[in-house]
Amino acid sequence: MSESPQQPMNRRRFLTVVGASGAGAAVLSGCSTEKVQKLVPYLVQSEDQIPGLATYYASTCTECAASCGVHVRTREGRAIKLEGNPDNPISRGRLCARGQAGLQGLYNPDRVRTPMRKEGGAWKAITWDEAIKLLAERFGAAGAGLRIVAGQARGTLTGLMNRVAQAQGGALVRWEAFDRDAERAANQRTFGRGDLATYEFGEARYILSVGADFLETWGSPLEQARGFAQSHGFRDGAMARHVYVGPRMNLTAMNADEWLAPRPGTEVAFVLGVAHAVVARRGGDPRLQAAVATFTPGAVAQATGLAAADIERVAGEFAAAAPSLAVAGGIGAQYPNAVELCAAVNLLNLAAGNIGTTVRFGADPDAREGYAAIRRLQEEMAGGAVTAVLFHEANPVYALPASARFGEALAKVPFKVSTALVLDETAAQCDLLIPNHHALERWDDAAPRAGTFALMQPVMQPVFTTMHTGDVLLKVAQAIGGASAAAASAPSFEALVRATWQQLAAAQKAGDFEAFWRAALQRGGHYAAAPVQPVSLASAQVDATPAALGDGEFVFTAYPTSMLHDGRGTNRPWLVENADPVTKVTWHHWVEVSPATAKRLDVREGEIVRLASAAGTLEGPVYVFPGIRDDVVAVPLGWGHTEYGRYAAGRGANALDLLAAPAGPALPYVTTVGVTKVRNAFRALAKTEGNPRQLGRHIAEAMPLEHAAAGYTIKQSWEKLGNPEHEVNTEAELQAIEGFEEAFAAARELGNYAGEQPMWGLAVDLAKCTGCSACVTACYAENNIPVVGEEEVLRGREMTWIRIERYWEGGTDGQPVEGRVVPMMCQHCDAAPCEPVCPVYAAYHTPDGLNGQVYNRCVGTRYCANNCPYKVRYFNWKAYNWQAFPEPLDLQLNPDVTVRARGVMEKCTFCVQRIREAQHRAKLEGRPLRDGEFTVACAQACPSDALVFGDMHDPESRVRSLKQSPRGYHVLELLNVRPAVTYLAKVNHRPAPAAAAGHGAEESH
Amino acid sequence: MRRVALGGTLAIVAGVAVLVAAGSRTEAAAPQQATAPATPVAVPWPDEGTLKGPKQPIYFRHDVHATQYQIQCQYCHYSVAVASEPGIPSMQTCMGCHLVIGGSDTTSKVEIKKLRDAWNAKQPVEWVRVHYLARHAHFPHQRHVAKLGPNACATCHGEVQRMPQVFQANNIRNMGWCISCHLEHGVSRDCTVCHY
Repeated sequence: MSESPQQPMNRRRFLTVVGASGAGAAVLSGCSTEKVQKLVPYLVQSEDQIPGLATYYASTCTECAASCGVHVRTREGRAIKLEGNPDNPISRGRLCARGQAGLQGLYNPDRVRTPMRKEGGAWKAITWDEAIKLLAERFGAAGAGLRIVAGQARGTLTGLMNRVAQAQGGALVRWEAFDRDAERAANQRTFGRGDLATYEFGEARYILSVGADFLETWGSPLEQARGFAQSHGFRDGAMARHVYVGPRMNLTAMNADEWLAPRPGTEVAFVLGVAHAVVARRGGDPRLQAAVATFTPGAVAQATGLAAADIERVAGEFAAAAPSLAVAGGIGAQYPNAVELCAAVNLLNLAAGNIGTTVRFGADPDAREGYAAIRRLQEEMAGGAVTAVLFHEANPVYALPASARFGEALAKVPFKVSTALVLDETAAQCDLLIPNHHALERWDDAAPRAGTFALMQPVMQPVFTTMHTGDVLLKVAQAIGGASAAAASAPSFEALVRATWQQLAAAQKAGDFEAFWRAALQRGGHYAAAPVQPVSLASAQVDATPAALGDGEFVFTAYPTSMLHDGRGTNRPWLVENADPVTKVTWHHWVEVSPATAKRLDVREGEIVRLASAAGTLEGPVYVFPGIRDDVVAVPLGWGHTEYGRYAAGRGANALDLLAAPAGPALPYVTTVGVTKVRNAFRALAKTEGNPRQLGRHIAEAMPLEHAAAGYTIKQSWEKLGNPEHEVNTEAELQAIEGFEEAFAAARELGNYAGEQPMWGLAVDLAKCTGCSACVTACYAENNIPVVGEEEVLRGREMTWIRIERYWEGGTDGQPVEGRVVPMMCQHCDAAPCEPVCPVYAAYHTPDGLNGQVYNRCVGTRYCANNCPYKVRYFNWKAYNWQAFPEPLDLQLNPDVTVRARGVMEKCTFCVQRIREAQHRAKLEGRPLRDGEFTVACAQACPSDALVFGDMHDPESRVRSLKQSPRGYHVLELLNVRPAVTYLAKVNHRPAPAAAAGHGAEESH
Repeated sequence: MRRVALGGTLAIVAGVAVLVAAGSRTEAAAPQQATAPATPVAVPWPDEGTLKGPKQPIYFRHDVHATQYQIQCQYCHYSVAVASEPGIPSMQTCMGCHLVIGGSDTTSKVEIKKLRDAWNAKQPVEWVRVHYLARHAHFPHQRHVAKLGPNACATCHGEVQRMPQVFQANNIRNMGWCISCHLEHGVSRDCTVCHY
C-alpha cells in the first residue's frame, strides 16, 4: 500500500494515492508530502488478495523456449516479482536474469495498448470488433495463401494456430532466431531422428563444450547451470572438469577449467581427434572407428593449430572420464559447417558411451526445421504465393540478417498482422496489430519436453486493452465459418486449454479432472518423467574440411549474450543496464579485439572501428578483450533495433548486418571481415568494472583442487604454493587487536544489542558462482532499484546493490587467461567503516547484525561511501526514481521497500523487508524462525545455489556450516572490518598461478 | 509457508450470507464486550460541517456501526490481525447489510442512498484517508493487534467507536508517539524494525 509517493496513478481497484492539495487530512508532522490521500475500496473483494500480504500464483516463464516454472508474487492485484517455482523440474525454484525481467515485458511502457491499423502509413487505434472483422475478412479470403509464423514455444495455442491455418489450406511456420537447427540436422544424420537430446550436466565428470554456451543461451540455460554447479561445484573433494572450445571466451568458457581456441572452423577435426582417443581406448562400431581413424593428435594439431600435447591430454582425460559429456551447437560458434560439428560431437558422445546416460533422447516432442522453413516462407512471399501472414512471438525482420532481405519479401504480402506486445521491426511493417496479452495476463500452456506440461494462468487484470491471441483466432475462425469454424470451435481459449488438459489427465490416468486441474494450477503444471529412448548409429558420416568462412583478414563471430538473447531483451532496462557478465559493458554494443590485435590496429578501448564483410558493414567502439583469438573479432547480438520501444530503438548496431544468409539447414553466425580504424571517432563504453586486475588484493580467491580436497585453508594453500607469510604483527599490534576484541565484546552488551539476537549472514561459494547475474536482476526487482541510463553509468553511478565483479588472471607471459567472478554486495561488516563516519547516524549497526541505512535520516554527505572499502554504497545523485519507472513500469514497485529519493545513500539491506516479514509471521505463529524459511532475493534467484543466507547464530543453519568451510575467506580481510559475507574460494583444476600476486598491474588498455 | 493461490476464483458472497456472518460474528464477540460499560445508543448528529476530521463523501458514522450495532472493528477491517495493512471494507461488504437496511431517518436514508447509487454504478466510494504514515515507515498492524489485544485499535486511533466522523486523535505521524510506546513495552527501538 505504500507505493512510490511521487507517482500518482490510477490503481483501478484499490487504494489510490491521488495528488491534490490542501483539504482536511491530518496535517500534523512535516515528514513527507502533505496531500489528500484517498482510500478506494474494492467493489467485490477477491478472496485471493489480502492487502499487505503477497499472493503467489504458479505460472510459466515465456522469455525463452526453456519454459521454466515461475511463482508470480502479487500484491493488491499487481504482479511485483517473478520467482522460480520449486515444483518445476526445469527451474527448481530458481530464475535467471531474463526470466526476472519478464515483468518489464508486462509493464513495458512501449506496449501496444490497443489494436491498431495502419492507414496511410500511420497507426490508428481501432476496436477489437473492427480488428476481428478485418481479420476474418482477409484470412477468409487468403485461402492457401495464409501463413502463421510462431516461435519455438509449443502448446495448445500452437495447435490452434496450426488448425486455423490448415483449415484454409495455409500453413504454420515455426521459427525462432536461435532455433537449434544444426543439431537437429546432425541428429537426423547420425541417429536417424531429427529431435533434440537433453543433457545431464549434473552427472558428467568431464564436460567438453564446443561452442555451446550452455550457461547463457543454448538449450535450457538455467537447468544446465544447476547441473553444472552440481558436477563442477566443488563437493566432497571432487569436481568435474570443463573444457570449452571456441574462438572467444564467453561466460561458459570463463567458467571452464581450460579454454582452447583452435583455428576458427576447424573444431570438427578437434572433436574427431578426441573421439579418436576414445575409440582407441574403448573400441566401438567399425563405422565409427573408420570415421575417426585418421585424426591422430598430430594430424589434429596441424589442422587446428593447437598443440599436439594439449589435444592428447584433453582427449586422454575425456576418454578416461565416465560419464563424460560433449555438447555443440552454440550460436557464437555456428560456422557454415555447423551440422558437421554437431555430427562429430554426436559420434564422440556415442564413442564415449554417453548416449542414454548424459545424453538422452526421447524428451523432445517434435522434430522440425526452423531456418529452412522461414527461408521457404520468404521465397513464397517473394513469389506472391502468400496473401496473408500472421506473426506471433517472432520477429524475423530483425533476427534475420539484413542481407536476407526478408523485409522486402514481406512487403509483397498484401495483408500482414502481428500479435507483438511491443511494436518490433516486423510489426512495424504490418498492416494490423492485434497485441496479445502478456504471459502473466493469460491462460496458456507449454510442453517444453515430453513429460513436462507447464501451465500459465492470468495473475492480474490486463494492463492494457489487449486480447489473447487464442481468443482472437477462435473469434476469427467462427466469423470465417465453414472449415475454419469447425477446426477452431471453443467458447474461449481458456476452455480450449482446459480441454487439452482434460486429454492430458486422461492420458496420465488421473481419475478426477478437477483435482488434477487444481493441482496443476497450484504446481504450475504437471510433471512426469521424460521417457529415454535408445538410439543407434545410422551414419558415421562427417566432413572435417574446415569451414569456408571467406577471405577477409579477420574471422568475425556474432554471439548472443545472456542478457539480450536474440535481441528480445533489449527493451527491458534491467537487462540493458545489467552488465554483460564477461565484458561488463552496458547500454551499447562493442567490438571485441585481442590486446595484440588492438596494438596492431593501433586502437584503444572506445575508439571506433569499421568492420566490412561481403554482406555489409558495421561500426562500433573497440573493447580490448584478452579472451579472444588474435585473428578473430566479435560483436554481441541484440543491439541495433530500429523499433522495439524507447530502450532498444536506435541503440547500437546489429551484428547481423555483417552476415550473409545462405541456403542451408542453419544460419551461420560466423564470417570474415576486414577491420579499419575510423579516425577521430570515439565512444566511451559504459562499463561497470573498476580495475580488471586484482592487483594482489585477494578479492577473488582460488585454490587448486588437490588443496581443497586436502582441506587446506586459503592461507595454507597460499603457503603451499610457495608464497611466504606476508604480514606479521608486532607485539604492539597484537595488543591493540586484543584490546579491540575486548571493546568489541563489551559493546555487544549495550542497550538494544544485549541478549540473544540473530546474526544474519551470507555465504558465497565461488566454486559454484558462474557470474550469470541472475542475482543482480532479482535485486533490482525486489528492492525498487532504478536504472540510471548510459550517461550515468559512464559516471560510475549505477545503483547495483549487488554486482558481479570480474577479474582477469593470467593472459600475459603465455599463461592462460582465467576469468574470476565475485558477487559483491554490502558486506554488513561487524566493525563497519561506514558507520562511525555518518554525522547523522543514518548508517548504523542493528542488533541483528545488519548494517542499517536509514533513508529518512540520510542527509547525503556521502562520507559512508567514501569510507566503504568494498564500494557497495550507492548515492542517488539525481531523482533516478522519477525517470526509471515510466508509467506503467511503476506498477512493479515492491510496496514493502521505500523508493529512495534524490540525495539519499542506499545499499544492500540483506532484504530486511523479507527478514521482518518472516519474523512477523513466525511471531504470530508463536514459533522461532526456521533456517531456510525465507531467503534474500539474490540467493533465491541463483541458479547454481552459490548464495546461502541465514542466521549465523543458529547452530543448525546452512550458512553457518558453510562459513566454517576451510575454503572460507573474507574479502579484504586485513582491514578487520569483520564482514558478514563469507566467500568460499573457487576451486581450480590447474595449479593456481603462483605469480599472480606479483604481476597483473599491466593491462593492455 | 508460501501460499499458492488458485486463479480465476473470486469470492462472490451473496448479501444474505454476509448478514448471517455478521450475526454470528457479533455473538461470538459478545463475551469480550460483556465487561465493557453499557454502550449508549448513538444520538442523531447531523453533519453540519462542524465535526472534527475531514469530510467524507458519505457521512459514514463509526459510532452508529461500532457502538450502537456493536459491529467489531475487524468485521470491516478484515486483515488487521494477519497483515500489515488493516484493509478497508469492499463495497460488497457495505451492501451486504445495506441491501436491506435503508436507514431510519432522513439523514441516514440520504447517505445510504449514496452508497447504493455508487454500488449500482459500480463506482467505489473514494474515502479520504485520515491515518497514514510516511512512506519510509512500515507499521505491521498484525503484530500490534497480537500484542495489545482487544484495545489495540484505540491505542493509536482513539475511540473511533464514539466518533460520528473520524479524526486523528493522536499524533501518530510523530515518531515520538511510536517510541514512547515501544519504551513502555520494552520492545525493540532499532531503526530497521520500521524503516527500510
